[in-house]
Amino acid sequence: MTMDRTRLTFFVIIGVAVLVVVCGVGISLLPRITGSLGLSPMPTPAPAAETLEVRVVCALPVEPWVTEAAKQFNAEGHTLEGHPIHVEIVPMDGLTAKGRYERGEFGTEGSPYPTAWIPDSRYLVELVNATYKDLRGRDVFLTDGEYRARPIAVSLFAWGIYATREKVLREKYGEIDWHAIHDAATAKGGWPELGGNLEWGYFKLVVPNPNKNVGGLAAMVAAAGEYYDKNIIGVEDVMDPAFQAWLGELMGAVTDFSSLGAYSVENLALFGYSMGDGGQLLESDLLVNMQGIQTRWADPLVIVYPQYVTWFDFPFTVWMGPETTAQEKNAALEFEKYLLSPEVQQQALKRGLRPANPDVPLDGPDSLFVKWQSQGAKVVVPRATAMRSPDRDVLDALLKWFDRNVAQR
Amino acid sequence: MRRKQTSGTIAVLAGLLILLVFVIIGCCSCWGVLNRLAPSGGETPMPVRSQATLRLAYSPEKEPLLSELVTGFNALGLTTPDGQPMTVETVQLEPDAMIQGALSGDFQAITPDSSIWLDQLDRAWQEQTGSESPLVGQTVRYAISPIVIAMWADVAQGMGYPAQPVGWLDLLARAQSDPNFGWSHPSTTTASGLLATLAEFYAGAGKTRGLTEEDVQRQSTLDYVAAIEKTVRYYGEGEWALVQRLLSEGRGDLDAFVCQEQLVIYYNRQAGSSSGPALVAVYPKEGSLWEDHPLALLETPDLTANQRLVFSRFVEYLQSSETQARVLAHGYRPTDLSISLSGPDSPFTSDLGVDPAQPQTALQVPSPAVVQVVQDVWWYTKRHTNVYLVADTSGSMEGEKLESAQEALRIFVEQIKGDVERVGLIEFASDVYDVVEMDELGRNREKLMAGIDGLWAGGDTSLLDGVKVAYDRLQERGDTERINAIVVMTDGLENDSVISLYELISRIKEGNARGVRVVVFCIAYGDDADLNTLRAIAEASGGDVRRGDPETIRQLYKILSTYF
Repeated sequence: MTMDRTRLTFFVIIGVAVLVVVCGVGISLLPRITGSLGLSPMPTPAPAAETLEVRVVCALPVEPWVTEAAKQFNAEGHTLEGHPIHVEIVPMDGLTAKGRYERGEFGTEGSPYPTAWIPDSRYLVELVNATYKDLRGRDVFLTDGEYRARPIAVSLFAWGIYATREKVLREKYGEIDWHAIHDAATAKGGWPELGGNLEWGYFKLVVPNPNKNVGGLAAMVAAAGEYYDKNIIGVEDVMDPAFQAWLGELMGAVTDFSSLGAYSVENLALFGYSMGDGGQLLESDLLVNMQGIQTRWADPLVIVYPQYVTWFDFPFTVWMGPETTAQEKNAALEFEKYLLSPEVQQQALKRGLRPANPDVPLDGPDSLFVKWQSQGAKVVVPRATAMRSPDRDVLDALLKWFDRNVAQR
Repeated sequence: MRRKQTSGTIAVLAGLLILLVFVIIGCCSCWGVLNRLAPSGGETPMPVRSQATLRLAYSPEKEPLLSELVTGFNALGLTTPDGQPMTVETVQLEPDAMIQGALSGDFQAITPDSSIWLDQLDRAWQEQTGSESPLVGQTVRYAISPIVIAMWADVAQGMGYPAQPVGWLDLLARAQSDPNFGWSHPSTTTASGLLATLAEFYAGAGKTRGLTEEDVQRQSTLDYVAAIEKTVRYYGEGEWALVQRLLSEGRGDLDAFVCQEQLVIYYNRQAGSSSGPALVAVYPKEGSLWEDHPLALLETPDLTANQRLVFSRFVEYLQSSETQARVLAHGYRPTDLSISLSGPDSPFTSDLGVDPAQPQTALQVPSPAVVQVVQDVWWYTKRHTNVYLVADTSGSMEGEKLESAQEALRIFVEQIKGDVERVGLIEFASDVYDVVEMDELGRNREKLMAGIDGLWAGGDTSLLDGVKVAYDRLQERGDTERINAIVVMTDGLENDSVISLYELISRIKEGNARGVRVVVFCIAYGDDADLNTLRAIAEASGGDVRRGDPETIRQLYKILSTYF
């Protein structure tokens, strides 16, 4: 009997063990078996469609508008081929972004590769393309076709000067141009010599630091255009000692090229006439800060358009390298289309930008150009000569001159 | 029978063993199935939770504002997408210590008093790492404040202000012509001190812009600045500490000092005078300079995505209209330009000593290279020092107390960079001992270090005799060109001096009135120190009493070193 009970126990244990294994192996093979038999697999939750992340490195003057648009875009739940699109905006000055592209600094841990870039100007795109042509033998940003760089808004450079100072300069020089500003900047007796108040000190010019804000480079290009009275400048013009001496005297009137220099119009508004009497700055920045200046300082700002006009066109530029997928590139195009839609372009107008979409009129109800007409803002700029985009060598020469002669002063 | 039982047991054990093997196989099979059913997929590693606490260093004068804002932000209870609470942790540091900490990766964001330090930080970072990419990343501003000359209202009126504009040159001329006129500025380790020094160099070079390295190093400029610096009473750790001291101890013999505009508002509010402002902000006619309080993210290699997110949220919080209203309430000019400085809640009123329409003009900020030269050269032009370190080595100092004090004394000597500064060391217990004679640090720095190392504890406390010896030595030296000071530290009660407290105080008052002005800074070390005696000595000399313990004594001596 004892023997039988032991055997029974042994077979029960073996039986349980076999059952456990059969169940385990059976469950693990079930999907394969059902699959081979053409039966429906075990129901599992359907995977959510993967979100397409669009990361846009964006120039600072349009960043508030683009960021706001991205928030709306994300909230509206746009999709591409069933995939939700999520847009992230990374604010970055155009020159800083150019440097990062050229040094291969994008795509590090915690910082995925940008899907698109909105630099300040088309010529920054061309400079990065030139670098990558050497490295990869092809353009990384396209100039034609579906993925070509398209401007999303335009802003001109114009003089923004405190009204009391502008009045004195007008009385002294008639026209306000780079020549008049140069003479004011080099007046040894400061404002009293020009007919202004003693407490204003010297004439103080506002020029953004070209190493931190591409607007500073644009200002130097515009100054060169007026100095030579022509709309295209070459390296030989930049290297001319007489021009360099003239530009050096002009830059000597800038109050601050330190870290504060990155903000330009914001500085003019925040620090008022104490830091700068005026400068040639981005029209949109001037318009946006006009109200704030009137709230903070008793003296309002006046806008004056120069004879030689430079501008930023903020091209939306899709990165064509293999670091981003085809779907991500197409998702970026969806966001570009959104930015160019009349409703979003209308938002640009509210921020002092000239819409790239011709269907959106500049003199609409929310137009800052209309609101600040009394301060010199103009919908149509008369008798202006457009400066042509300088080539890479000219820009390099100007930056090198700045580093050697102004940044180290 | 026994054999049968044994074979049965073996069979059961064998069965159990087989069961175990099969159970393991079964479990493995089930695990495989569970893995397949898991929604994340079997090959995806567990996500690593990234750090969501942003460590932020700030300059001391922002203490009231930053504590309120950071507390407000942390109370919002924001969380990161992976569910971690978003937190900002703060540490208060002077800008030079902030730069060192940033280079060591001690924090992920900084908000010093001025952008001037950001350039210096990037220069140092590039030298340290050789990297072309700057350490300073996204930078925003939330508050600004001009640098002003804070004067007592009666002093400003005496100089014709506000009817007559007053400038740096007027201040410097007054200080040179009137030996009773007391003024100070912080050392060049703070933006206010640095910018006040820049103003002196501009005046010395006869310029208000275009200051060059050659201008700074020209002998005539150096002589001018040195002459001006001789009129400075003493330096200090910063404008915030000075304002605190004025509030707690009264006006003293200081007529004017350089600080941020918001501190004038702060002082006048705290002082609460009903008959107009006690302090007036004078905006120098040659031009002022601005402190722009940047908030900068540091692109350190170990910065996490969550910390970047916390920074973004903190920026949004700082720039919100509610926070900007708080910025205004603290006496800063908010960066939100829609907030008027002339509104009903604005503290920018003549009653609080400030004028929102000022400053009219600013001095030009030189390049970082010129700023560096000014900082370096200042050590040679500043008012030099004769300082006695007087240390208690009585029996109660034995052990950790003395060890900490020795380390603090060493830090003090290390912190004083200029080799022409004179330092001596006196110890007191039952008697007074001249450990190291006063001499220029270029000659006795090593002797001082060895003397400090050799201190040992034992005996009673001849505190008053120790101070008397140091004081007499400084009077005998008769050097009015330099700052003359005593830094005395004790942990107990006076019990063994020949001179009485009354006699010592009379001696100090008479000596300071007739001979060399000697300031005594006292450190009450530990809970048993005789605070009343120390306070009486400090007050008699126009000095100050600080409390310390073995934990804080090093920092305390470090702070006191900035006075010289």
